[in-house]
Amino acid sequence: MTELSRKCVPFTPYERELARATVALVTAGGVHLRDQPPFNIADELGDLSFRVIASDVQASELMVTHHHYDHSDADRDINVVFPIVALRALAEEGFIGGLAREHVGFMGYTMQLMRMYEETAPLIAEEVDSKSRADIVVLTGG
Amino acid sequence: MSTVLITVSPEASRQGRPPRALYPKNFAIGNALGRPGMAELQKRVLREALGLIKEPPRPGEIIERDFPEYATTG
Repeated sequence: MTELSRKCVPFTPYERELARATVALVTAGGVHLRDQPPFNIADELGDLSFRVIASDVQASELMVTHHHYDHSDADRDINVVFPIVALRALAEEGFIGGLAREHVGFMGYTMQLMRMYEETAPLIAEEVDSKSRADIVVLTGG
Repeated sequence: MSTVLITVSPEASRQGRPPRALYPKNFAIGNALGRPGMAELQKRVLREALGLIKEPPRPGEIIERDFPEYATTG
């Protein structure tokens, strides 16, 4: 695996027009489909897994499992942490080219930072890069 | 792929030195895009974040923007 320097910010330029960009959402806000297994909030070490969310998802199909932020607003409107409706609107307006095939939710709380960094993060990046086919990723937290 | 972060914990996010990051000023934790039901505000925040993709690079910096409508409703 590529080792990133702690001093270096891994900046990837985007040379094309935004109107041609394919955009994916990746959230640490504990977002997942109601029929997917919830994140394990009983484990004090956190949950290193992630959930793949198809691009045609309806906001009502999504929920939050996360016990380290107040997600009562997200429970009422998932778009406050996972802006799928806004992303669709920007695609319809032509501001971006379109939505990626898949988006990703994970639970940003962990006591296993090295494993999150060395295991989960590369798996999410691989998912987004090879399956979602996004060229821009918008990251959100809780 | 290029990334942009929308953060409501700017101090914590700064330590991660993200390549591009937007802090919607004074937004609460759990409200990265704004409040429930404020679809126009949520879209504005997302548009601002995506706009950072084409701005001159300031890697590691957290860019603050004001969204006054967040404070006036909810």
